[in-house]
Amino acid sequence: MENRYLQHFLYPSSLFVNKEPFVIKTILGSCVAICIWDKKLKFGGMNHYMLPNWNGNDLASPKYGNIAIDKLIERMFYYGSNRKDLVAKIFGGGELLEASTGNSMMIGERNIRVARLMLEERNIPIVASSTGGKRGRKIIFFNDTGEVRHKFLEKKVY
Amino acid sequence: MSELTDKQLLRELRLRLEERKKFDNEMKELSKDFQSVTKKLKESEALKSHFISNISNEIVNPFTSILGLSKAILSVEKNDWKKVVSMVALIHSEAFNLDFQLRNIFVAAKIEAGEIAPNITKVNIRSLAQTVIDSFNIISRKMGIDIDLQFNVEYGFGKNFYFKTDSEKLKLILSNLINNALKYSYKDSKVIVKIWVDEDILNISVQDYGTGISEKNQKIIFERFKRLDSGINSINRGHGLGLSITKSLLDVLGGKIEIDSKKGEGSTFSIELPEAKNVIEGFSGDGNDVFFDDDDEIF
Repeated sequence: MENRYLQHFLYPSSLFVNKEPFVIKTILGSCVAICIWDKKLKFGGMNHYMLPNWNGNDLASPKYGNIAIDKLIERMFYYGSNRKDLVAKIFGGGELLEASTGNSMMIGERNIRVARLMLEERNIPIVASSTGGKRGRKIIFFNDTGEVRHKFLEKKVY
Repeated sequence: MSELTDKQLLRELRLRLEERKKFDNEMKELSKDFQSVTKKLKESEALKSHFISNISNEIVNPFTSILGLSKAILSVEKNDWKKVVSMVALIHSEAFNLDFQLRNIFVAAKIEAGEIAPNITKVNIRSLAQTVIDSFNIISRKMGIDIDLQFNVEYGFGKNFYFKTDSEKLKLILSNLINNALKYSYKDSKVIVKIWVDEDILNISVQDYGTGISEKNQKIIFERFKRLDSGINSINRGHGLGLSITKSLLDVLGGKIEIDSKKGEGSTFSIELPEAKNVIEGFSGDGNDVFFDDDDEIF
Protein backbone atom coordinates (compact mmCIF):
# COMPACT_ATOMS: atom_id res chain seq x y z
CA MET A 1 0.00 0.00 0.00
CA GLU A 2 2.84 2.34 0.82
CA ASN A 3 4.21 2.12 -2.65
CA ARG A 4 1.58 4.11 -4.38
CA TYR A 5 2.44 7.13 -2.34
CA LEU A 6 4.99 9.74 -3.19
CA GLN A 7 6.60 11.35 -0.20
CA HIS A 8 7.11 14.91 0.83
CA PHE A 9 8.87 16.15 3.93
CA LEU A 10 7.38 19.47 4.88
CA TYR A 11 9.86 21.98 6.25
CA PRO A 12 8.88 24.77 8.61
CA SER A 13 7.61 27.90 6.82
CA SER A 14 6.58 25.97 3.76
CA LEU A 15 3.36 24.48 2.50
CA PHE A 16 2.46 21.66 0.16
CA VAL A 17 -0.66 20.77 -1.80
CA ASN A 18 -0.88 18.11 -4.48
CA LYS A 19 -3.60 16.23 -6.31
CA GLU A 20 -1.51 13.06 -6.51
CA PRO A 21 -1.50 10.71 -3.52
CA PHE A 22 1.28 11.86 -1.25
CA VAL A 23 2.35 11.14 2.27
CA ILE A 24 3.27 14.47 3.75
CA LYS A 25 5.36 14.32 6.89
CA THR A 26 6.56 16.86 9.34
CA ILE A 27 7.85 17.37 12.85
CA LEU A 28 6.25 19.88 15.17
CA GLY A 29 7.22 21.57 18.39
CA SER A 30 5.54 24.88 19.09
CA CYS A 31 4.84 25.12 15.37
CA VAL A 32 1.39 24.27 14.10
CA ALA A 33 0.53 22.24 11.01
CA ILE A 34 -2.90 22.31 9.42
CA CYS A 35 -3.89 19.38 7.25
CA ILE A 36 -6.61 20.38 4.90
CA TRP A 37 -8.57 17.82 2.92
CA ASP A 38 -11.17 17.98 0.19
CA LYS A 39 -13.67 15.24 0.98
CA LYS A 40 -15.20 15.36 -2.48
CA LEU A 41 -12.11 15.49 -4.70
CA LYS A 42 -10.09 13.37 -2.25
CA PHE A 43 -6.88 15.34 -2.08
CA GLY A 44 -5.29 17.69 0.37
CA GLY A 45 -2.33 19.61 1.61
CA MET A 46 -0.55 20.83 4.68
CA ASN A 47 1.19 23.91 6.01
CA HIS A 48 3.68 24.30 8.84
CA TYR A 49 3.98 27.70 10.43
CA MET A 50 6.17 28.90 13.25
CA LEU A 51 4.60 32.12 14.48
CA PRO A 52 0.98 33.28 14.68
CA ASN A 53 0.97 36.60 12.90
CA TRP A 54 3.06 38.32 10.30
CA ASN A 55 4.91 41.26 11.78
CA GLY A 56 5.00 43.23 8.55
CA ASN A 57 8.80 43.19 8.40
CA ASP A 58 9.98 39.95 6.90
CA LEU A 59 8.94 38.51 3.60
CA ALA A 60 5.26 37.65 3.79
CA SER A 61 5.95 33.93 3.90
CA PRO A 62 4.00 31.01 5.36
CA LYS A 63 6.28 31.16 8.38
CA TYR A 64 3.37 33.12 9.83
CA GLY A 65 0.02 31.52 10.62
CA ASN A 66 -2.24 34.19 9.21
CA ILE A 67 -0.41 33.99 5.90
CA ALA A 68 0.10 30.22 5.86
CA ILE A 69 -3.57 29.45 6.47
CA ASP A 70 -4.89 31.68 3.70
CA LYS A 71 -2.22 30.50 1.29
CA LEU A 72 -3.10 26.87 1.99
CA ILE A 73 -6.80 27.47 1.39
CA GLU A 74 -6.06 29.50 -1.74
CA ARG A 75 -3.94 26.68 -3.08
CA MET A 76 -6.81 24.24 -2.53
CA PHE A 77 -9.12 26.56 -4.47
CA TYR A 78 -6.53 26.75 -7.21
CA TYR A 79 -6.73 22.96 -7.56
CA GLY A 80 -10.48 23.14 -7.85
CA SER A 81 -11.82 22.75 -4.31
CA ASN A 82 -15.04 24.23 -3.07
CA ARG A 83 -15.03 25.79 0.35
CA LYS A 84 -17.89 23.57 1.54
CA ASP A 85 -15.92 20.38 0.81
CA LEU A 86 -12.93 21.33 2.92
CA VAL A 87 -12.21 19.92 6.35
CA ALA A 88 -9.20 20.63 8.54
CA LYS A 89 -7.15 18.84 11.17
CA ILE A 90 -4.76 20.78 13.34
CA PHE A 91 -1.68 19.58 15.16
CA GLY A 92 1.17 20.94 17.23
CA GLY A 93 1.45 24.08 19.29
CA GLY A 94 3.21 22.47 22.22
CA GLU A 95 5.09 24.53 24.77
CA LEU A 96 8.51 22.97 24.76
CA LEU A 97 10.31 25.79 26.47
CA GLU A 98 9.97 25.74 30.21
CA ALA A 99 8.02 28.28 32.18
CA SER A 100 7.41 30.80 29.49
CA THR A 101 4.93 33.10 31.09
CA GLY A 102 3.61 36.42 29.98
CA ASN A 103 1.94 37.40 26.80
CA SER A 104 4.94 37.68 24.57
CA MET A 105 5.63 33.98 24.91
CA MET A 106 3.17 31.11 24.74
CA ILE A 107 3.86 30.79 21.05
CA GLY A 108 2.32 27.34 20.84
CA GLU A 109 -0.90 28.55 22.41
CA ARG A 110 -1.08 31.59 20.13
CA ASN A 111 -0.34 29.46 17.08
CA ILE A 112 -3.28 27.21 17.90
CA ARG A 113 -5.54 30.14 18.58
CA VAL A 114 -4.92 31.71 15.18
CA ALA A 115 -5.67 28.37 13.50
CA ARG A 116 -9.02 27.92 15.25
CA LEU A 117 -10.01 31.53 14.74
CA MET A 118 -9.18 31.72 11.07
CA LEU A 119 -10.67 28.33 10.17
CA GLU A 120 -13.89 29.27 11.93
CA GLU A 121 -14.04 32.58 10.11
CA ARG A 122 -13.57 30.78 6.83
CA ASN A 123 -16.22 28.18 7.66
CA ILE A 124 -13.89 25.23 7.49
CA PRO A 125 -14.71 22.67 10.18
CA ILE A 126 -11.95 21.24 12.34
CA VAL A 127 -12.68 17.52 12.36
CA ALA A 128 -9.72 16.41 14.46
CA SER A 129 -6.92 17.94 16.43
CA SER A 130 -4.09 17.22 18.79
CA THR A 131 -2.64 20.40 20.16
CA GLY A 132 -0.80 21.81 23.14
CA GLY A 133 1.04 19.79 25.71
CA LYS A 134 4.75 19.73 26.38
CA ARG A 135 5.97 17.31 23.74
CA GLY A 136 6.83 17.50 20.09
CA ARG A 137 4.89 15.58 17.47
CA LYS A 138 5.55 13.63 14.34
CA ILE A 139 2.77 13.88 11.77
CA ILE A 140 2.12 11.82 8.67
CA PHE A 141 -0.72 12.94 6.43
CA PHE A 142 -2.13 10.80 3.64
CA ASN A 143 -3.52 13.42 1.33
CA ASP A 144 -5.84 11.09 -0.59
CA THR A 145 -7.67 9.52 2.35
CA GLY A 146 -7.28 12.44 4.72
CA GLU A 147 -5.89 10.13 7.37
CA VAL A 148 -3.30 11.49 9.77
CA ARG A 149 -0.94 9.36 11.79
CA HIS A 150 0.43 11.06 14.81
CA LYS A 151 3.01 10.26 17.40
CA PHE A 152 4.45 12.15 20.34
CA LEU A 153 8.19 12.55 20.46
CA GLU A 154 10.05 11.84 23.62
CA LYS A 155 12.78 14.34 23.03
CA LYS A 156 12.13 17.83 21.91
CA VAL A 157 13.34 18.66 18.46
CA TYR A 158 12.30 22.07 17.29
CA MET B 1 -28.15 28.23 44.97
CA SER B 2 -26.12 27.91 48.09
CA GLU B 3 -25.69 30.81 50.45
CA LEU B 4 -22.29 32.44 50.42
CA THR B 5 -20.70 33.94 53.45
CA ASP B 6 -19.45 37.50 53.14
CA LYS B 7 -15.91 36.21 53.12
CA GLN B 8 -16.57 33.78 50.32
CA LEU B 9 -18.39 36.41 48.40
CA LEU B 10 -15.51 38.83 48.74
CA ARG B 11 -13.05 36.22 47.62
CA GLU B 12 -15.15 35.32 44.63
CA LEU B 13 -15.47 38.96 43.66
CA ARG B 14 -11.75 39.51 44.00
CA LEU B 15 -11.07 36.49 41.84
CA ARG B 16 -13.38 37.74 39.16
CA LEU B 17 -11.85 41.16 39.31
CA GLU B 18 -8.40 39.71 38.83
CA GLU B 19 -9.61 37.60 35.96
CA ARG B 20 -11.14 40.67 34.42
CA LYS B 21 -7.91 42.58 34.80
CA LYS B 22 -6.03 39.81 33.06
CA PHE B 23 -8.38 39.95 30.11
CA ASP B 24 -8.14 43.72 30.04
CA ASN B 25 -4.39 43.50 29.85
CA GLU B 26 -4.56 40.95 27.12
CA MET B 27 -6.95 43.15 25.18
CA LYS B 28 -4.60 46.07 25.56
CA GLU B 29 -1.68 44.00 24.32
CA LEU B 30 -3.64 42.74 21.37
CA SER B 31 -4.90 46.13 20.35
CA LYS B 32 -1.35 47.43 20.57
CA ASP B 33 -0.21 44.60 18.29
CA PHE B 34 -3.07 45.34 15.98
CA GLN B 35 -2.21 49.00 15.73
CA SER B 36 1.42 48.31 15.05
CA VAL B 37 0.59 45.82 12.32
CA THR B 38 -1.83 48.25 10.72
CA LYS B 39 0.88 50.85 10.69
CA LYS B 40 3.29 48.36 9.21
CA LEU B 41 0.83 47.43 6.50
CA LYS B 42 0.37 51.03 5.51
CA GLU B 43 4.13 51.48 5.33
CA SER B 44 4.42 48.25 3.46
CA GLU B 45 1.95 49.40 0.86
CA ALA B 46 3.94 52.57 0.29
CA LEU B 47 7.16 50.59 0.12
CA LYS B 48 5.62 48.19 -2.33
CA SER B 49 4.81 50.90 -4.81
CA HIS B 50 8.35 52.14 -4.40
CA PHE B 51 9.48 48.61 -5.00
CA ILE B 52 7.63 48.38 -8.27
CA SER B 53 9.27 51.50 -9.59
CA ASN B 54 12.63 50.25 -8.32
CA ILE B 55 12.18 46.89 -9.87
CA SER B 56 11.22 48.18 -13.25
CA ASN B 57 14.34 50.34 -13.25
CA GLU B 58 16.26 47.32 -12.15
CA ILE B 59 15.12 45.30 -15.13
CA VAL B 60 14.49 47.89 -17.78
CA ASN B 61 17.76 49.80 -17.41
CA PRO B 62 20.09 46.83 -17.86
CA PHE B 63 18.06 45.66 -20.84
CA THR B 64 18.22 49.05 -22.44
CA SER B 65 21.98 49.12 -22.03
CA ILE B 66 22.39 45.59 -23.31
CA LEU B 67 20.27 46.29 -26.36
CA GLY B 68 21.99 49.60 -27.07
CA LEU B 69 25.48 48.22 -26.62
CA SER B 70 24.93 45.14 -28.74
CA LYS B 71 23.48 47.30 -31.49
CA ALA B 72 26.55 49.50 -31.27
CA ILE B 73 28.79 46.47 -31.55
CA LEU B 74 26.98 45.33 -34.68
CA SER B 75 27.73 48.59 -36.40
CA VAL B 76 31.35 48.90 -35.32
CA GLU B 77 33.89 49.37 -38.11
CA LYS B 78 36.39 46.55 -38.45
CA ASN B 79 39.37 48.65 -37.42
CA ASP B 80 37.59 49.83 -34.29
CA TRP B 81 37.47 46.37 -32.75
CA LYS B 82 39.12 47.53 -29.54
CA LYS B 83 35.98 49.44 -28.67
CA VAL B 84 34.12 46.16 -28.74
CA VAL B 85 35.99 44.77 -25.77
CA SER B 86 34.87 47.52 -23.44
CA MET B 87 31.32 47.33 -24.73
CA VAL B 88 31.23 43.58 -24.19
CA ALA B 89 32.50 44.14 -20.67
CA LEU B 90 29.62 46.53 -20.07
CA ILE B 91 27.12 44.09 -21.51
CA HIS B 92 28.50 41.43 -19.25
CA SER B 93 28.23 43.51 -16.12
CA GLU B 94 24.67 44.60 -16.94
CA ALA B 95 23.64 41.03 -17.69
CA PHE B 96 25.35 39.81 -14.52
CA ASN B 97 23.45 42.32 -12.46
CA LEU B 98 20.19 41.46 -14.15
CA ASP B 99 20.72 37.77 -13.58
CA PHE B 100 21.58 38.34 -9.92
CA GLN B 101 18.54 40.53 -9.27
CA LEU B 102 16.18 38.15 -11.03
CA ARG B 103 17.52 35.27 -8.98
CA ASN B 104 16.75 37.25 -5.82
CA ILE B 105 13.26 38.09 -6.96
CA PHE B 106 12.45 34.49 -7.88
CA VAL B 107 13.75 33.23 -4.57
CA ALA B 108 11.66 35.83 -2.73
CA ALA B 109 8.60 34.66 -4.66
CA LYS B 110 9.38 31.06 -3.75
CA ILE B 111 9.80 31.90 -0.08
CA GLU B 112 6.52 33.79 -0.04
CA ALA B 113 4.78 30.85 -1.72
CA GLY B 114 6.12 28.46 0.91
CA GLU B 115 7.97 26.41 -1.65
CA ILE B 116 11.43 26.70 -0.25
CA ALA B 117 13.18 23.68 1.25
CA PRO B 118 16.81 22.98 2.02
CA ASN B 119 18.58 20.87 -0.56
CA ILE B 120 21.50 19.48 1.37
CA THR B 121 24.72 18.27 -0.20
CA LYS B 122 28.36 18.22 0.78
CA VAL B 123 29.65 21.59 -0.28
CA ASN B 124 33.23 22.57 -0.90
CA ILE B 125 33.08 25.87 0.95
CA ARG B 126 36.34 27.28 -0.31
CA SER B 127 35.52 26.78 -3.94
CA LEU B 128 31.98 28.08 -3.42
CA ALA B 129 33.30 31.27 -1.84
CA GLN B 130 35.91 31.65 -4.56
CA THR B 131 33.30 31.19 -7.30
CA VAL B 132 31.05 33.83 -5.78
CA ILE B 133 33.93 36.26 -5.33
CA ASP B 134 35.14 35.65 -8.88
CA SER B 135 31.70 36.38 -10.24
CA PHE B 136 32.04 39.90 -8.82
CA ASN B 137 35.53 40.32 -10.28
CA ILE B 138 34.64 42.63 -13.11
CA ILE B 139 32.58 44.91 -10.90
CA SER B 140 35.13 45.02 -8.10
CA ARG B 141 37.98 45.67 -10.50
CA LYS B 142 36.06 48.53 -12.05
CA MET B 143 35.60 50.08 -8.61
CA GLY B 144 39.20 49.39 -7.64
CA ILE B 145 38.09 47.25 -4.72
CA ASP B 146 40.10 44.28 -3.65
CA ILE B 147 38.08 41.36 -2.32
CA ASP B 148 40.28 39.50 0.12
CA LEU B 149 39.25 35.93 0.99
CA GLN B 150 40.63 34.78 4.34
CA PHE B 151 39.90 31.11 4.61
CA ASN B 152 40.75 29.97 8.12
CA VAL B 153 39.64 26.40 8.33
CA GLU B 154 42.45 24.39 9.84
CA TYR B 155 41.07 20.94 10.19
CA GLY B 156 39.55 18.65 7.62
CA PHE B 157 41.31 18.30 4.35
CA GLY B 158 42.67 21.80 4.33
CA LYS B 159 41.93 23.15 0.92
CA ASN B 160 39.05 20.79 0.39
CA PHE B 161 36.87 21.54 3.33
CA TYR B 162 33.40 20.08 2.90
CA PHE B 163 30.35 21.19 4.85
CA LYS B 164 26.81 19.86 4.62
CA THR B 165 24.52 22.64 3.55
CA ASP B 166 22.51 23.98 0.61
CA SER B 167 24.99 25.29 -1.93
CA GLU B 168 22.58 27.35 -4.03
CA LYS B 169 21.16 29.12 -1.00
CA LEU B 170 24.57 29.75 0.51
CA LYS B 171 25.73 31.17 -2.83
CA LEU B 172 22.85 33.60 -2.92
CA ILE B 173 23.42 34.61 0.71
CA LEU B 174 27.09 35.29 0.08
CA SER B 175 26.37 37.05 -3.23
CA ASN B 176 23.95 39.38 -1.50
CA LEU B 177 26.43 40.20 1.26
CA ILE B 178 29.25 40.85 -1.20
CA ASN B 179 26.99 42.81 -3.51
CA ASN B 180 25.96 45.06 -0.62
CA ALA B 181 29.53 45.45 0.55
CA LEU B 182 30.59 46.58 -2.92
CA LYS B 183 27.57 48.80 -3.37
CA TYR B 184 28.23 50.77 -0.23
CA SER B 185 32.03 50.84 -0.49
CA TYR B 186 34.05 53.82 -1.61
CA LYS B 187 36.27 53.51 -4.65
CA ASP B 188 39.72 51.99 -4.16
CA SER B 189 39.07 50.33 -0.84
CA LYS B 190 38.70 46.70 0.08
CA VAL B 191 36.24 44.07 1.16
CA ILE B 192 37.32 41.24 3.45
CA VAL B 193 35.55 37.89 3.39
CA LYS B 194 36.49 35.71 6.37
CA ILE B 195 35.51 32.08 6.73
CA TRP B 196 36.08 29.97 9.81
CA VAL B 197 34.52 27.08 11.68
CA ASP B 198 33.52 26.80 15.35
CA GLU B 199 32.56 23.26 16.27
CA ASP B 200 29.82 22.45 13.74
CA ILE B 201 29.13 26.03 12.87
CA LEU B 202 30.33 27.69 9.72
CA ASN B 203 31.05 31.39 10.15
CA ILE B 204 31.34 33.82 7.31
CA SER B 205 31.87 37.52 7.68
CA VAL B 206 31.93 40.17 4.98
CA GLN B 207 33.54 43.44 5.96
CA ASP B 208 33.62 46.69 4.03
CA TYR B 209 35.06 50.13 4.69
CA GLY B 210 32.17 51.99 3.16
CA THR B 211 29.44 54.30 4.34
CA GLY B 212 28.36 52.24 7.35
CA ILE B 213 24.93 52.08 8.95
CA SER B 214 23.74 54.04 11.95
CA GLU B 215 22.51 52.09 14.95
CA LYS B 216 18.95 53.18 14.39
CA ASN B 217 19.00 51.96 10.82
CA GLN B 218 20.61 48.64 11.69
CA LYS B 219 17.28 47.55 13.07
CA ILE B 220 15.28 48.15 9.94
CA ILE B 221 17.56 47.01 7.14
CA PHE B 222 16.22 43.47 7.24
CA GLU B 223 12.68 44.60 6.50
CA ARG B 224 11.45 43.83 3.06
CA PHE B 225 11.58 46.52 0.40
CA LYS B 226 13.32 48.77 2.89
CA ARG B 227 16.22 50.78 1.57
CA LEU B 228 17.96 53.40 3.58
CA ASP B 229 18.30 55.75 0.66
CA SER B 230 14.96 55.06 -0.91
CA GLY B 231 14.47 58.42 -2.53
CA ILE B 232 13.86 59.06 -6.18
CA ASN B 233 17.31 60.58 -6.34
CA SER B 234 19.01 57.65 -4.71
CA ILE B 235 22.36 56.92 -6.30
CA ASN B 236 22.46 53.25 -5.49
CA ARG B 237 20.40 50.72 -7.31
CA GLY B 238 18.53 47.89 -5.73
CA HIS B 239 15.10 46.76 -4.70
CA GLY B 240 15.52 46.38 -0.97
CA LEU B 241 14.91 42.67 -0.97
CA GLY B 242 18.48 41.44 -0.65
CA LEU B 243 18.79 41.37 3.11
CA SER B 244 15.29 40.10 3.84
CA ILE B 245 15.92 37.27 1.39
CA THR B 246 19.25 36.59 3.06
CA LYS B 247 17.53 36.41 6.42
CA SER B 248 14.77 34.11 5.18
CA LEU B 249 17.28 31.80 3.53
CA LEU B 250 19.25 31.64 6.75
CA ASP B 251 15.99 30.78 8.51
CA VAL B 252 15.57 27.82 6.19
CA LEU B 253 19.10 26.66 6.97
CA GLY B 254 18.83 27.35 10.70
CA GLY B 255 21.42 30.12 10.59
CA LYS B 256 21.77 33.62 11.97
CA ILE B 257 23.03 36.98 10.78
CA GLU B 258 24.51 39.90 12.72
CA ILE B 259 25.65 43.38 11.85
CA ASP B 260 28.46 45.34 13.32
CA SER B 261 28.69 48.79 11.87
CA LYS B 262 29.59 52.37 12.57
CA LYS B 263 28.37 55.21 10.44
CA GLY B 264 31.22 56.38 8.27
CA GLU B 265 33.54 53.50 9.08
CA GLY B 266 32.02 50.56 7.27
CA SER B 267 30.06 47.47 8.16
CA THR B 268 30.63 43.83 8.92
CA PHE B 269 27.90 41.32 8.29
CA SER B 270 28.52 37.95 9.94
CA ILE B 271 26.55 34.79 9.41
CA GLU B 272 26.51 31.59 11.44
CA LEU B 273 25.40 28.42 9.75
CA PRO B 274 25.01 25.10 11.57
CA GLU B 275 25.95 21.98 9.64
CA ALA B 276 22.84 20.27 8.29
CA LYS B 277 22.04 16.82 9.59
CA ASN B 278 21.29 13.99 7.23
CA VAL B 279 18.57 12.59 9.36
CA ILE B 280 15.76 14.63 10.72
CA GLU B 281 14.65 12.99 13.91
CA GLY B 282 12.21 10.21 13.14
CA PHE B 283 12.66 10.48 9.40
CA SER B 284 15.59 9.42 7.31
CA GLY B 285 16.75 11.87 4.71
CA ASP B 286 15.72 9.78 1.72
CA GLY B 287 12.31 9.07 3.20
CA ASN B 288 12.65 5.28 3.24
CA ASP B 289 11.54 4.93 6.82
CA VAL B 290 8.87 2.73 8.23
CA PHE B 291 5.86 4.80 8.99
CA PHE B 292 3.42 2.29 10.30
CA ASP B 293 4.39 2.18 13.93
CA ASP B 294 2.08 0.38 16.31
CA ASP B 295 1.91 3.31 18.65
CA ASP B 296 0.78 5.79 16.01
CA GLU B 297 -2.47 7.46 16.80
CA ILE B 298 -4.80 7.89 13.88
CA PHE B 299 -6.83 11.01 13.23
